[in-house]
Amino acid sequence: MRFKISLPAFILWLSPIAMVFTILASILYGAKNIDSTTVWDAVFHFDPGNVNHQIVMHSRMPRAVGALLIGAFLAISGAVMQGMTRNYLASPSIMGVSDGSVFTITLCTIFAPNASSLDMIMYSLIGSALGAGIAFGLASLLPNGMSPVRMAIIGTIIGTFLSSVSAAMASYFQISQNISFWYHARLHQMDPGMLKLTVPFAVVGIAMALLVSKSITILSLGEEVSMSLGLRTVLVKAMAVASVVILTGISVALAGNIGFVGLIVPHITRFLVGVDYRRIIPCAGVLGAIFLALSDILSRFLNYPFETPIGVVTSLVGVPFFLYLIRKKGGREDA
Amino acid sequence: MPKASTGRFWAVLLASMGATLVAIYVSLTNGVFDLTVTDVIKTLLGIDPEPAHELIIFDFRLPRIVIAALVGFGLGVAGAVIQGITRNGLADPGILGINAGAGVAIVVFMFFFEEKIAGSGWMSALAMPLFGWIGGLATAALIYLFSWRNGGLDPQRLILVGIAAGSGLGALSLYLSLKMNPQDFEMATIWLTGSIWNANWKYIVSILPLLVVLVPVILSKSSVLDLFQLGEETAKGLGVSTEKEKNVLLLCSIGIVSACVSVSGNIGFVGLMAPHIAKRLVGIRHSRVLPVCGTLGMLLVIVSDFVAKNVFSPVELSVGIVISIIGVPYFVYLLFVTKA
Repeated sequence: MRFKISLPAFILWLSPIAMVFTILASILYGAKNIDSTTVWDAVFHFDPGNVNHQIVMHSRMPRAVGALLIGAFLAISGAVMQGMTRNYLASPSIMGVSDGSVFTITLCTIFAPNASSLDMIMYSLIGSALGAGIAFGLASLLPNGMSPVRMAIIGTIIGTFLSSVSAAMASYFQISQNISFWYHARLHQMDPGMLKLTVPFAVVGIAMALLVSKSITILSLGEEVSMSLGLRTVLVKAMAVASVVILTGISVALAGNIGFVGLIVPHITRFLVGVDYRRIIPCAGVLGAIFLALSDILSRFLNYPFETPIGVVTSLVGVPFFLYLIRKKGGREDA
Repeated sequence: MPKASTGRFWAVLLASMGATLVAIYVSLTNGVFDLTVTDVIKTLLGIDPEPAHELIIFDFRLPRIVIAALVGFGLGVAGAVIQGITRNGLADPGILGINAGAGVAIVVFMFFFEEKIAGSGWMSALAMPLFGWIGGLATAALIYLFSWRNGGLDPQRLILVGIAAGSGLGALSLYLSLKMNPQDFEMATIWLTGSIWNANWKYIVSILPLLVVLVPVILSKSSVLDLFQLGEETAKGLGVSTEKEKNVLLLCSIGIVSACVSVSGNIGFVGLMAPHIAKRLVGIRHSRVLPVCGTLGMLLVIVSDFVAKNVFSPVELSVGIVISIIGVPYFVYLLFVTKA
């Protein structure tokens, strides 16, 4: 058991190295391979006239960092949701949170086409709050609504609705192409300015997640246990939902709808580090970051030299895992 | 529970058929080019025919309406069967991922085979539903494989696996369709979101046999479906070989759904809504529920297709989108009603 206890620490200590390697790989490989000395020069002796330097600093670097951050955001939101609802299927993409963001982004593109990046982020946050609000609201109003299957169905349906309305509006206002730009995640056009803007939001979101992590461990034991332990469940849940909304909202604003990271990474993490959310949440962040960055590298080669949407890659990796989970857990057990 | 009398059943059936006829009439006469009643009747009966009217009715509007009707009918019946077997009122063919499976197969067909058999006319029209059917069956096999437990089909798992299979196969279709040339891509996209946009008589002929064969099989098993409602153990106790019946019923409904998907793309929610409305109207006996489901499904798809085609004209929405916009609020309402 000693090994098992030190595993989270191990992951956390090893992760900076893994991240550096992932970033390097992400910068080196792509439609145009760039050798490492060029990368070194681009970082330390930047020459604006050199095309390769431009690619490294303005495209590859923000993309690599963006993939890491988004992976972390989504995995953390997923972990928080799964712990809070005791539902092993909860995740931002299944629960309609991402679709909510896509919905408000569609509205924004139609009615406020000149919105700034910060506005976009705000709209996306409002949208994810809307999606989360409707799905969770419905689930909590209904008898047995928080059970895995029922909640998954409610989330799927709310998501379908929000994305259908977005699609209808997009085709009516003839901006389908702009919108599909948002739907089918586009890490390859990471906007460095927007990435910087999201940092304060991310800090708040992650801080909130870490702050409630202990309470989530208690919540994951069940409502009654947490009540009897004197946990202020309403406050904890509100904070947990707020952090999910913030983290998912900024992810969608940055890169569109990326499924499955938020679903599978928390499971892998739980498998590795046990059931204590004080460990799960940070470790999920780290693993999610590495997972998404690796999927992003894979996405460049699946259909070489064209890019494959990252959502497709994560689904193709994620679905078999999801099926395995169902097979193993039998679709009944709580997380 | 509403009182389930025979009279009520016939009244509901006739009323929904009447409403369907009205919808067909409105759909036939209205559009970018309005026709009068006499024009329609004259053209249908072939009295001093006018080529323009014939073109509009026989080549554009009528095939589309017939397809909408057949698809609605099929999806309604299949939905009732799937809800009956899983004993889960929230199940529907779309949620089970069967639509997505048929979808992938058809995208594969468009991608690899369409050009090779494009010249041969009938072959190509018949090949598409066939591919859809194979795709739907393969998905069903996959879902079976994963939701099989202790020698039986676990209805809870069935739905979970379905949701997973649906999103994975959706991603696969997207991946394949991105590799297509732009023209095919547009076709595939329109088709994937559910649209009866390029209806023609060949499609109708291609799906009709499946419906004609499979629907009666399902109807003949309506009493078995009733027994399933008592719970599997009870049904077994009453001498029903549950596994065998379940397999037959599921295969029939998968066949129907795949055929429908192959001509109309991904239309969800019909299979979810029609059975609920039907049960509220005529009670829970499947010999009554199934026909009413079929006619309600028809009505729903014809009306939605009309809305999709005309309300935002000249922009045409896909019928799948219209149905989910109507369907979700109904679904939510349903969730609240079942609470009581």
